[in-house]
Amino acid sequence: MRLVVFILFLLLSSTSSFAQADSLRNLQEVVITATRQERRLGNVAVPVTLIQQQQIRQAGSLRLRDILQEQSGLVMTSAFGVGVQMQGLNPEHTLILVDGQPLVGRTSGVLDLNRIALAGIKRIEIVKGPSSSLYGSEAMAGVINLITEAPGKKELSGSLRYGTGNPDKGWALPFASSGFQQLDADLQVGYQVGKWKFRHSNNYLYNDGISFRPFSTDRIPRPINRLTHQTTLLRPIGERTEFKLLLRANQDKIEQEFAVRNNGQLIESYGREKNTEWNIQPTITYRPGQRLALHSRGFFTRYVGDQRLFFVQKPDSSYLDRFEQHLYRFEQQLDWTIGRSEWIFGAGYQIDQARSTRYDALDNRKQNRVAYAFAQWEWKLNEKLISVAGMRYDDNQLFAAALTPKWSLRYKPNEKWSVQASVGQGFKAPDFRQLYLNFTNNAAGGYSVYGTQDAIRIINELNRLGQIAELQPDFSKLSDLTPEYSTGTNLGVTYQPKQTITVRLNGFRNDIRSLIDVRQVATRIDGAQIFSYLNVKRAYTYGLESEFKWQFHSQWTLQTGYQWLRTGDKDELDRIKKGLEYTRAPDGSSRVMTLREYVGLPNRSEHQAQFKLRYQPAEHRFVFLRLLYRSRWTIANSNGNGVHDVQDEYANGFLQINLSGGIPLRKNIQLQAGIENLLNYQDVNYLPNFPGRNIYMTLNFKL
Amino acid sequence: MRFQLLLLTSLISFVACEKDKPTPTIDQRAYSVTTSGNVVTVRNLPGDTIIGVSAQGQPVGAGRYTFFSLESGQWIPNADSNSSRWDLAFAGTTVRVNNLTSGPGSGGGFVFNGSFETLASVPVDSTFRVDNHPVSYAIPRGSGRAWYTYDGPTNLLTPIPGRTLVIRTANGQRAKVEILNYYRGGSTPSASAADSIKIRDQRFFHFRYTKF
Repeated sequence: MRLVVFILFLLLSSTSSFAQADSLRNLQEVVITATRQERRLGNVAVPVTLIQQQQIRQAGSLRLRDILQEQSGLVMTSAFGVGVQMQGLNPEHTLILVDGQPLVGRTSGVLDLNRIALAGIKRIEIVKGPSSSLYGSEAMAGVINLITEAPGKKELSGSLRYGTGNPDKGWALPFASSGFQQLDADLQVGYQVGKWKFRHSNNYLYNDGISFRPFSTDRIPRPINRLTHQTTLLRPIGERTEFKLLLRANQDKIEQEFAVRNNGQLIESYGREKNTEWNIQPTITYRPGQRLALHSRGFFTRYVGDQRLFFVQKPDSSYLDRFEQHLYRFEQQLDWTIGRSEWIFGAGYQIDQARSTRYDALDNRKQNRVAYAFAQWEWKLNEKLISVAGMRYDDNQLFAAALTPKWSLRYKPNEKWSVQASVGQGFKAPDFRQLYLNFTNNAAGGYSVYGTQDAIRIINELNRLGQIAELQPDFSKLSDLTPEYSTGTNLGVTYQPKQTITVRLNGFRNDIRSLIDVRQVATRIDGAQIFSYLNVKRAYTYGLESEFKWQFHSQWTLQTGYQWLRTGDKDELDRIKKGLEYTRAPDGSSRVMTLREYVGLPNRSEHQAQFKLRYQPAEHRFVFLRLLYRSRWTIANSNGNGVHDVQDEYANGFLQINLSGGIPLRKNIQLQAGIENLLNYQDVNYLPNFPGRNIYMTLNFKL
Repeated sequence: MRFQLLLLTSLISFVACEKDKPTPTIDQRAYSVTTSGNVVTVRNLPGDTIIGVSAQGQPVGAGRYTFFSLESGQWIPNADSNSSRWDLAFAGTTVRVNNLTSGPGSGGGFVFNGSFETLASVPVDSTFRVDNHPVSYAIPRGSGRAWYTYDGPTNLLTPIPGRTLVIRTANGQRAKVEILNYYRGGSTPSASAADSIKIRDQRFFHFRYTKF
C-alpha cells in the first residue's frame, strides 16, 4: 500500500503536462488482420480490437495471457494451459498468429497463452467473428494476430522485473522463502549493417510458482523457465522489392507436482515438461507499381512438447508423453487496385505433420496436406459505403474440403456514426488427435480412445478376435471426419460524438454445426469402453458487446467494456423443448426441466466487464487501474441429467484488480511498479492457473 | 436455507426435550423408511459402504449386499438372502433383482426413461430383464446406462433424473422405483469436497417406490 501512495505522490507532484493523444488517434490507427492489407481501423467492417505496445507495457503484461485477460469479450480458460474463449467459443476455435502465420502445438485444442512472450511485439490485433475466408482452419470465433516490431530503428533497450507474492498470506517480503519469486529480463537490440536492418528480442522469465495445493489433481506449476528469442531482418532489394525474415525460438521448462488419479486412488507425481518451438518466416514483397503488390511467403515451424512423469512411490518408473508437430507452408498473395476496387488473390500449399506417444507409435509420422486459394474484393462504393466480399477454398488430403465465404459492409453516413455488418463462415479442420489418437488408459478402467482414421479397423479387428462385447449404435455412424463449421453474424454500431468519446456496440451470433464430440462406439468383453470421434454436436452462442472510451481530461482516460453472452447445445435445447430432459425437485424427485432453467454450454459466464482508468501526465509517468469482472460459470453437472442447468455447481464470479504506475528516474531510465490481483482473489479448484497477488517492480532503460 | 432448517430442527428438538416427550424428528443421516400416501421413501440404506482400502489403494466395501423388500418395506437380514423375502439387493452401483443368478424368486426389472409420476402402469410392450451375474443385469451397470452417471474428474456419482426402475418383485408383484441419491444425508457432496468425504459418504441409497 505504501508503494502505491509513493507512486501516486510522485505522479501528482509532476508538473509536466504531456497530452496523451492515444484515444484520439484510435480510429486512424492501422490494422492488417481484418483484410490482409493495411487499413485504417475506422474503415474496417468487422469488429477489431487493437492493443498497442504502450498499453501492453503499462499494464505490466509479460505473456499473451496477461494482456488478453484485460480485453472485453475474451475469457481465459484453464484446462490444458490457459486458453482463450472468444464470443463464447472454445479455445480451439480461435486462431493465434504471429505476423499472419499460425502458432502450432496445441494440447486438446488449447494453445497455452502463457507460452507466448510479448517481448518484441509491437501490437496485437483481435478480429472477432469467423475469418476463415482469409485464414482457413481454426478462425471460427476469430483471429488474434501478434505483429512484431519492425527492424530498422537503432535501439538498445531492456527491462528487468522482479515480482513476489504469497497466495496464502497475501503479502511477502522480497526474496522471502515463504513467497514465490518472479524474474523477467528483456533485451531489445536494433541496428543496421549496410542495407540489412536487424532487430533482436530476447526474453527470459523465471517463476518459481505457486504451490498452494501440493499434489492436487490440478497441475500447479512449480519452477518455470521460459526463454524466447526473436530476430527480424529486413533488406530492400532494388527499388521495388523487400526481403523480410522472422525467426522465433521459444523454450519452456516447467516442473510440476500433482496427483494422478488411478482407479480412485491419488498417486503423487512429479512432472518435467519441456516445450521447444521455433519458426522461420521469410517474405518477399514486390511492388511493380502503385496498384500492385506481390507477396511470397514461406513458413516453417516445429513444436515439440515433452512431458515426463515420475511417481513419488515408484521412483524408478516413469511415463513419457511426447507430441511433435511440423508445419511447412508456401503462400502467394497478390494485391491489386482497380478503380474503386481492391482485390486480393492468394494461394498456398501446406504440409502439416505430427507424431506422438499417444498415437499408434511415436515413429509413425502423421501427415495432412492442404492446398488452398482465397480471394477478396473490397469495393468502395462511395465515401459512405464499403463492401468486402471474400472466399476461401481449402482442399484437404485427409478429410472433406472446406469452402468459406464472408461478406461485410461498413456504412458511415456521417462523421459521428458508423455501422458494420458482416456474415461469414468459419471452419476448423479435425486435428491429428481426432484422426489418430490411440490411447488406452490402463489407470482408469482401461477405456480406449481411437481417432477415426484407425477406429473402424481396430474395432473390427478386436471384434474378429472376440474381444468386443457390444457395438454401440454410434459405431455405425463412424466415418471420415468433416471439418466443424460455423456461421457467424456481427452487427455493430460505432458512435463518436467528439474526438474524445467513442462508443461501440456489437451484437453477435454464431451457429456451429458438425462439432466433433467423443462418443462411446463399443464395449470390450471386460466392460471397458471404446470411444471415438463423431461430427455430431450443434451449438450456438449469441451476445452483445459494448465498449466505451472517454478521454475526459487531457491526462485522464476512462475505458469500459462489457459482454453479455448466452450459449447452448441445440440438441439439448430440442430435448428440453420436447420435455425429455429432467431435473430434480427440492425433495429429490424427478420432474421435467423447463427452458428457463437451461444454462447452456459449461464454463461460460453470462456477464463479463472491465473498467480501466488511466492517468498519464507525461510519457513515462502514469497510473493505470483495471477492474476485471467475470460472473459465475458452471463447472460440474450436479444433478446427473447431463445438461447444464441452474441446479448445477458453479464457480464463483470474481473481481480482479490490477494496478500499475510508472515514473521516469533519469532521461533513459524509468521505474514501473504494480500489483496484479490486488484483492488476492483465488479459487484453487476452478482457477488453478490464477496466481495470488503479485507485487512487482520493473526497471526499464532505453538508450 | 439448510442452516435455517437445521436451526429449526434443533430448536424443535430442544423444545421437545423440555417437554420431555419423544418427537418424530428424522435424523437426516440415519436409515429410515417413511410412507406418504402409497409412496414409500427409503433413506440412507447402506449398500456395501466403504470400510477400507485395498492393496492396490482403492476404497473397498466388505463385498456384502443389502437386501430390501418392496412388499414389506423392510431391510431384510443377509441370512434370508437365499429366499423370496427380498426384492432388491444393493452393493455399490450394482442393483440386483431376485431371480436366476441372484436369488430363488421370480423377480425382474428394466429401466424406464421417464419420470416416476407419469408412469401410471407397466408399459404393455415392456419386457422384464433378469440378472445373469456377472455378465449382465436386469438393471445394467455402468455410467449413463441405467440409473446413474459417474464423473471421473470429480469422483462423484449422481442418479439420473427421469430414470425409473420398473421392478417385478420376488413374488411377481409390480413396482416402480426411483433412486434419489447415493450419498449419506441425501445430498451429493460438492465437486470440490475432499475425497475423504466423497468416499466416506458414498453408497447410501435413497429411493422411493410404489406398487402398481
